[in-house]
Formats: sequence, structure tokens, C-alpha cells
Amino acid sequence: MVKVNELVDVAHGVQSKRVFWDQEVYEQELERVFGRCWLFLTHESLIPNFGDFVTAYMGEDKVIVVRQKDGEIKAFLNSCTHRGNQVCHADSGNAKAFTCSYHGWSFGADGSLAALPLEQSAYYGKFDKAGAGLREVAKVDSYRGFVFGCFDAAAPSLPDYLGEMGWYLDTWMDGTGGAELVGPPMKSILRCNWKVPAENFIGDGYHVGWTHAAAIKVLGGPLSGLAGNAEIPFDDAGLQVTSRHGHGFGVIWDGLGLIHDDPAYREYAYANLPALTEKMGPWRAKLYTGHWNAGIFPNCSYLYGTNTFKVWNPRGPNEIEVWTWTLVEKAMSPELKAEVVKQAIHSFGTAGTLESDDGENMETCTWSNRGPQTRKGVMNSQMGQINDGEHPELPGIIGKNFIGETSYRGFYRFWAEMMQAENWDAVRANDATWKDALIKGAAEAKAAERAA
Amino acid sequence: MNAPTLQSFSPVQPDETRPVDLALHHAVSQFYFREARLQNGRQARQWLETMVDADIHYWLPILEDRFAKDPRPQPTPAEPAVYNDSHDDLRKRIERLETGLVWMEDPPSRVRFLVTNIEAYHTAEPDLIGTFCNVHVYRNRRQRDETHHFYGREDVLRRGADGQLRLLRRKIVLDQRVVLDKNLYMFL
Ligand code: FES
Ligand SMILES: [Fe+2]
Repeated sequence: MVKVNELVDVAHGVQSKRVFWDQEVYEQELERVFGRCWLFLTHESLIPNFGDFVTAYMGEDKVIVVRQKDGEIKAFLNSCTHRGNQVCHADSGNAKAFTCSYHGWSFGADGSLAALPLEQSAYYGKFDKAGAGLREVAKVDSYRGFVFGCFDAAAPSLPDYLGEMGWYLDTWMDGTGGAELVGPPMKSILRCNWKVPAENFIGDGYHVGWTHAAAIKVLGGPLSGLAGNAEIPFDDAGLQVTSRHGHGFGVIWDGLGLIHDDPAYREYAYANLPALTEKMGPWRAKLYTGHWNAGIFPNCSYLYGTNTFKVWNPRGPNEIEVWTWTLVEKAMSPELKAEVVKQAIHSFGTAGTLESDDGENMETCTWSNRGPQTRKGVMNSQMGQINDGEHPELPGIIGKNFIGETSYRGFYRFWAEMMQAENWDAVRANDATWKDALIKGAAEAKAAERAA
Repeated sequence: MNAPTLQSFSPVQPDETRPVDLALHHAVSQFYFREARLQNGRQARQWLETMVDADIHYWLPILEDRFAKDPRPQPTPAEPAVYNDSHDDLRKRIERLETGLVWMEDPPSRVRFLVTNIEAYHTAEPDLIGTFCNVHVYRNRRQRDETHHFYGREDVLRRGADGQLRLLRRKIVLDQRVVLDKNLYMFL
């Protein structure tokens, strides 16, 4: 078993570089993180009718996600119960049955084994079909149309897993009548550990002015001041959030749509603002017109306000498959949806102007650790720790600056907890105390500053 | 059927019964070879200004793996696409490269385009030529990071009053469902 306390120092916001490289860390993640957390699968609007399906990954496991006759959604391991062949090779489609290409076993949309060739002559009609259905993913549920699956029957419900994050997500998942994803997803690879982009999206306002200097300079507008860190906004420009189960985000106030080269999205959002304020209250009104860099633990990330939505599918400790959809609100006109899709992909699609800035960094953050001396080092995520704490109105732990690493610290706090916990009951036992190490770290940072 | 056709993208159809003559075919080939050389040489600005029509539509659709009998139509430019660019969009991509702030291209990567299987046909419009070609692009960067991409182009070239050819439509059919690279920020 990996000694997780040697890898993450929660109170001091420090992580071993081994978290990006070690095979044994990775194997334990597949079991303890990907085997037990809720993982994003698809959006309900992409599989509206009976038999509609998409294929997806849950960690390294391939699954088929299918709309059932009664409207429910189920997910199954994409592996035949005969000799294990992959049952479905399409990205998406509509199927009343999935027939294995090896010996022809055929599974219904509900995963049950419906028919097998030569059932009478070769099995003498005695084969127990009832016990040979595709293995069903223990839990599948959707939160406001966003579909997640979980292999662990003992996991909390999806709303409980999202926890305080649900309150924030409702800002745009519920505020104006719901959100959906436009697909099919683009797919590409990055030779990096899955946590590098996950931590980047959840908490890295710091890199924007530097990594993306070229793209935001060309963009012009209010963001261009960030290019090359010429003019970094601090203090009241935004904040960061981390929550019980590691989800989090950083928000820059009034940042919605600024990476898009088209004012229509901002006009749409600001026109919604009075009604949204009425419905969701002033804090979420402020969040609604913000730009969020965000993550749902473990490997789902999105930028609300730029509207790219991604899953980092792990393919070994140092490679991922990046799947990218576009996030739109259902109430947008078809023309606005198309424009938002175009703009989101122009910036964060496979050939995106900002996407292309990030890949190199994520790969070398990973591959540098091939060197054993390098790997003995640690990584720092202490920025803004001195300002972390609870907030009278906002749930979770709040960092007071837009540029800081609060949500990084919270991501690794929960990662370490999941990697150590025997089961979900052991995680639940920490529910009342999960903030302690983060608050202790903030207090120590304050004390150190006073002493200095 | 899944085979993408030019029809899904542009009403201009190459007339396969009317291949262009040898002289025009030579001009088309030279057009593609010059284009490849400008891209190899990182002269994207020159490519845009001298070889690309102001009304360009530059498109790389997302082609899913679907069952052969899937009845859904092929994607159109109204749907999400990796590239769905106008002249203005292409210009902004080039401006980004010219800022001097693209750290991932410093030191620069090495890119080489091989263009082959060039077919060129007349269309119903006298000034428009429909072409097909295959491309292999090799990108090498950061000592030993290398990627290969294979794709087909379905282009429409416009012959201006000055006799010069310019790229008016490009549909890129990438032969990878999962792009086996960190990005496709290249002019394909
Ligand atoms: S492995 Fe699927 S039918 Fe034999
Ligand atoms: Fe980035």
C-alpha cells in the first residue's frame, strides 16, 4: 500500500512529485479513486431516447451508457461475459441490442444476455442466461442532466457526493432553466498524468497570464491586460473554493464570455441577470456572470464562462485521453448555442488557441519525474493560503483571491483522504473535521507572517 | 454510410467526368507544394495573404466511430468541429503565433507536409476547381517528441482574374478518431 502521508502534506500544501509518476500510486488510484468516486459519463440530452447509447471510460474501465425503456439510464462494463471481448465499438448510436463480435452473444439495452448462438445444440438449452448479463455499474444518476456513474454501491448519493458544490453548480445548472452539453466530444491525447490538468483547471488562475499570454493578447478586450502578467487583478477580482469531496473552482468576477470573441454570450447572460438574482440570490448572481476554472473530483473539469467541458481519462500514469464537449444553456437560441460552441472550440478544442498553450506544460510536469532525483522533490501549492477560511455565506473553504491555490490544496486533501480510506464509511467519519487541516495550515501561515 | 462527401459541406461539386488539363493540373500541384513549403517554413502569414481566398471556409469535422447502419447524417459545419474557421479566424491564429509569446513553439517545432494523390476537376462554376489530395504531416518537437497525421483534403480552389489559384473551401478528413497528439494547431 502506498504511504500517502509521504506524498501529500495537506496543512502545508505540498505534494511529492511521485504523485505524477509512480505506477503503484496509479494502481491504487484506479481502485480507490476511480473505483469509488462518481465519474462523469455524459449528458442526458445526448441520449434522449430508448436505446440511445454512448461509450465512455470510468478510469481505465470501458463502459456503455444506455437509455432504458423506462427512461432511466444504466451503464455496463463494455466487456462480454463469455470471453471478455469488447461488446460495443461505436462512440454513440441507438441499439436495442449489443452483439459481441467474437461468438455472437447478444445483450439487450438493459444489459441482460438475450441470446447466444447454438444455445440448444451446444449448451443443450441449459445455459443460465440470467447470470450472464453485462456487469452493471453499481450507481448511475444524473445531477440536473449531467450523468455520472460510480462502481461503489456504498458511495454517497450523487447529490451528497457533489455536496456544497451543488449549491454553486445550481448557479448555471438551474438558474436559467438548465444546461446541457453539445457533442460529440473531441478526443485527443496528452502524455501527462491525469492530475496535472485536473489540478490546473480546478485551481490555476496563476498560469493564465503567462502560459496563455499569446492567446489573450490577440483576443484583446479586458483580459489582454493579463498577457505576460502585465496587470494582474488581485483582492476583489474573484475567489477560490474547495469543498468536502475535493471539487472546487476559482472565479474571476465579470469574466463570463471574455475568452469568446463575440459579445452575444455576455449580452445573453446579463439580460438574464435580474431574473436570476431574484431566483438564486445575490451571491449566485455574481457567480453567474463570473468565469470559473473548475473541477468535479476526480477527473472532470470545465470552464464556465468559456464553456469548455472536459474529462481526463487516465491511460496509465503518464498518458490521458482528453474528451471535450461544449457547455450551453438550454434557454439559449440555436444561433447563440452554435456561436458558443464555435468560440469554446476555437479556444479550448483540439486545435484551440488556449488549449495549445497548455499541453506542453502538462506533459513535462509529468515526464520530468522519469528522473529519480527529480522525483524525490516536492511541489508547492501554498499561494494564498494565508487568506483561506470559512465564509459567512459561501459553503466550503474560501480563498479570498482569484489567483491562489486554495482549490489545489483542497483537491489533494481529498485525494489523500480517498487514497488512505479503507471504504466510504471511513471517509464519512471525517465529515465533521475535513476542514481542520486546511484551516490549521492557514493559521500557521498567518502566524508565520506575524512572526516575520 | 459514413463516407464524408464534399456535398455535406459545399454545394460546389467536382465533376469527375471533366478532369482539368495537364497545364492546370500542374498549376494545382504547384499550388499544394508551395503551400506545404510555406507551412514547413513557418510562413503562415504569407500563406494566408497569397494563397487563401477572403471567403475561405476551413473545416475539420468531428467524425465519430458509428455503426455502419447508423442512419444519422454526416456532420455539417453547423455542428461542433475542430476547425470551423473564416479568414478572420485563421488570421487570429496566425497573429497568436506572431506575438512571440507562444512558449510551446520556442524553440520551434519542425513540421513537414507530404502532399500526394492530387486529383483536380472542373465544377459547374467556371472559376472553381474541385480537388482531392492526401496529406501526411510529420511534427517533431522538443528533441524527440514526434507525431504523424494522415488526412484527406477536399478543397475548392478559385482561379482569380489574375490566373492565381486561391483556397476557397477546405474540408479536412482526419483518419484518427482520437487525435494522437496534444493538439492540432497546424494549418492542415
Ligand atoms: S467473447 Fe463475446 S461471445 Fe464470446
Ligand atoms: Fe491553461
